[in-house]
Amino acid sequence: MITAQNKLGLIFFPAFDWAISPTHPEREERLLYTQDQLREEGVFDIAGVTEYKPLVASEEDVARVHFCLPDVASVITESHLISAGGAIKAGELVMDKTEQKAFALVRPPGHHAMKVVHGNRGFCNINIEAVMVERLRERYGPLRVAIVDTDCHHGDGTQDIYWHDPNTLYISIHQDGRTLYPGSGFTFEDGGPNARGRTINIPLPPETSDEGFLYAIERMVLPILTDFKPDLVVNSAGQDNHYSDPITNMNFSAQGYARLSELLNADIAVLEGGYSIQGALPYVNLGIVLAMAGVDYTAVREPTYDAACIEQPRNIMPFIKKVADEVLAAYFNPSGERGMPGNYDVRRKGVFYDTDMIREEQVESIMICDECAGTLKIETSSSANPLSLCVEIPIGACDRCRDEGLRIVHEGKKKKGKDYAHIVLINRRDREYVRT
Amino acid sequence: MLLGLDIGGTHTDVVAIGKDGIAASAKVVTNHDDLLASVTGALERVFSAIDVAAVDRINLSTTLSTNAIVERTTEEVGVIVSAGPGVDPQAHAVGNRYYAIAGSIDHRGTEVLPPAEGEIQKAVRHCLKNGVKVFAAVSKFSTRNPAHENRIRDIIQGNADFTTVGHELSGALNFPRRVSTAYFNSAVWRIFNRFADAIESGVVAHGIAPAINILKADGGTMPLAVARRIPVESILSGPAASVMGIVALCDIVEDAVVLDIGGTTTDIAIFADGAPLVEDGIELDERATLVRALKTRSIGIGGDSILAVSGTSVTAGPERRGPSMADGGSAPTLIDAFNVKKLAAYGDTAASEKGVRALAKKSGRSPEDLAGAAIDYAMRAIKEASDAMVRAINEKPVYTVHEVLEGKTIVPKRLYVMGGPARAFSDALAKRFGLPITVPEQYAVANAVGAALTHATMDIELFADTERGVMLIPFLNVNERVSGSYTLEHAKKDAQARLADHLAGLGVKSAECASEIIEAASFNMVGGWSTTGRNIRVKCQVKPGIVKGYRVG
Repeated sequence: MITAQNKLGLIFFPAFDWAISPTHPEREERLLYTQDQLREEGVFDIAGVTEYKPLVASEEDVARVHFCLPDVASVITESHLISAGGAIKAGELVMDKTEQKAFALVRPPGHHAMKVVHGNRGFCNINIEAVMVERLRERYGPLRVAIVDTDCHHGDGTQDIYWHDPNTLYISIHQDGRTLYPGSGFTFEDGGPNARGRTINIPLPPETSDEGFLYAIERMVLPILTDFKPDLVVNSAGQDNHYSDPITNMNFSAQGYARLSELLNADIAVLEGGYSIQGALPYVNLGIVLAMAGVDYTAVREPTYDAACIEQPRNIMPFIKKVADEVLAAYFNPSGERGMPGNYDVRRKGVFYDTDMIREEQVESIMICDECAGTLKIETSSSANPLSLCVEIPIGACDRCRDEGLRIVHEGKKKKGKDYAHIVLINRRDREYVRT
Repeated sequence: MLLGLDIGGTHTDVVAIGKDGIAASAKVVTNHDDLLASVTGALERVFSAIDVAAVDRINLSTTLSTNAIVERTTEEVGVIVSAGPGVDPQAHAVGNRYYAIAGSIDHRGTEVLPPAEGEIQKAVRHCLKNGVKVFAAVSKFSTRNPAHENRIRDIIQGNADFTTVGHELSGALNFPRRVSTAYFNSAVWRIFNRFADAIESGVVAHGIAPAINILKADGGTMPLAVARRIPVESILSGPAASVMGIVALCDIVEDAVVLDIGGTTTDIAIFADGAPLVEDGIELDERATLVRALKTRSIGIGGDSILAVSGTSVTAGPERRGPSMADGGSAPTLIDAFNVKKLAAYGDTAASEKGVRALAKKSGRSPEDLAGAAIDYAMRAIKEASDAMVRAINEKPVYTVHEVLEGKTIVPKRLYVMGGPARAFSDALAKRFGLPITVPEQYAVANAVGAALTHATMDIELFADTERGVMLIPFLNVNERVSGSYTLEHAKKDAQARLADHLAGLGVKSAECASEIIEAASFNMVGGWSTTGRNIRVKCQVKPGIVKGYRVG
């Protein structure tokens, strides 16, 4: 009998009856072989490893995080509420100290879902990590959270949601945006004016192997985490950096992923992407589970593993070391102009929803504030929805920002029907989530 | 006429049941040093009271294999495993002769590395030199491709008395459990087969040839011929006999809690829509196995649970120090508490009164108050354990959106109670559970009745991979080629047909082996962006149940 060093809760929800479409990578079969491997290895019999059923997230859990247009029910299916519910279960197990760590092996994923949701982009509708983190904050009070995203694709959704939040550190390690969807995640993307240095991007070149990834963890992620001192570390555990993944170009191995998990020592892991469902996922997931539980993982190896084939080209390490300088500067010495408190900082964004083929235009304004995360106003229109107004009053908003948020909504209502099709308010200070 | 025999920790019970009800029954003290003597002794008692020629079938529940494993009197086994990468196979080592050899098969059943024949031969030679006569061959993912286990067996063949191959025990995926189960199976193989020989010759000596079946922990039986090959399936069948007894004695149709109250413990079982729940693998000697069992939980509360006072709290059990004072014991127990509260009038009620009064005096309470508190404590403990079981069942992980949203939730509607102290406990239990309660008349022989009337059970898993063109039913040793047009419907039909054929071949009456599909799924396998085949899994079972036409309740 094997005994875990860390009590680990597993929420395994493969959604065997849900797919985006029959041959889409995000289909019923995706976690089938992972389940086979975990069962055959006897993982669920390890003393200290317990399997749990996911919760079902509520529409309010979604409405607390996202501006869904035209409304929450229109942009999700039940599978999204269960996937997010799996992440929430993981979070609650850790917060309640039922388990020391938890891993939500759930699908569909969420890290491309942004603050505003008009539809599905990058296989994601709602951001399951953010839905979890915000429910935990609502229930357990203020939390400093670090989300470390090790999916091969830049987690542009999570970045967007936490762009202005100084209490959430978002670190994404991914294949360089010049070579892969969604094409973002450069080191200069480092957070909004109220949260500069709280978004950290680590773009790695194609063909980066174990050496490069572990360097990024040891020399960039860990020092930043040590300084940030989070209450909770969440790993968005995408597995598409694997050398066998069909839609990416990296050379990471199951051993590498296991070692990464051990080094990162996250409290909670949530599965994100990873589409080499036979050649990678069964072994990567096994490696992560064993590493999180503190059980020897050194004998985990893919049948196709060949160290020579995935050796990192020589020109990669110098590139990564240069990235490291930029990353550490972005966190420890964030630069950039910051306007006067009480004024708005405005940016315009175009967002493309590749899965649903929706184009969105946004004007996003954040109140620059020294007292709180600042009230956020987004005017959005898309090929799916006419111009709408979205306002968020953050957790712990100062009186000025709260009053300002309520004022914008009040003004907006006067124009409703003429200028705005929908008005959505997320008022975290007073816990009201209203749509008109 | 059907005979049922249950070897218990204290007594061995036997009943003979005809179409008109119980024809004869007997109870003898179990002789742990000679279980065979207990069996034949009990059988002789019943045989003398009935027409022996009318016996069609004998069902035996025996603790032989369980005791041998727990008392470590089993035979040494040469365990040869091929695991490949993953969790270190040494973590699953069992016994003194455990050999992990090179070789690996992946989750699809594709061979990654052939088994190292030289290493196998060396392991076998080493075992034989040390007098090992029985072996177990287990490989990872053997239920997807049994080639390595079969190869290991072929190399052993001729040199050993018996070899267990993992995939013939169960179609389930779980390598560590497969290792333990195969090990236990070979470890008890000889002792069980000797017992089987003796039983058979004992029966033959009476000039009769009834079907002989062995009880399993899942509440069903297996023909003796099958038990000779997979004796491990006979472990821990004791609680199952009692639970099947309640099924025979009562007509259970709803969600229910079943309690079997003994002297020391209470066994709890949960029923869903009138059927007992089965769990996938029971633990024995601290090792998890693939042996399916009725889901039961035992807690340390029984009629003879000793009463104790500590500070302001009154407890009962888990300790037992002999019988109740009503039965001549020296310390007051739960039964004495029931006597004091006038909820029972068992044995010497004056002795109960005296004992409880003495204990109550020490803690400055009235005897009624102390007895009430003790009963309260015991009832609460039973209720909490049963609630925890129901909660765990309802919280069991499921893997589809449909099941998360629409899955069945168990809500017990009735309580069934059996065992010696059942009557005494019944009112207090009904009150605590807030449920109607049934205590069957013949609860004292429920275990033997259950043994007599339960029928064969079997469960198989079919796995098909149309891209590889294979269809396997590991438990039945089926390994065939299938074409790309093989579908889930074919698989379901095949699973039920093969199971029925197999049971018929074993002489099980077809009326007793109606099977049901309990899981069926087909996944499109996609390579690139096009479908390359189907990955099909079907689970099919003959679930535990009672032979029709003999109801004795």
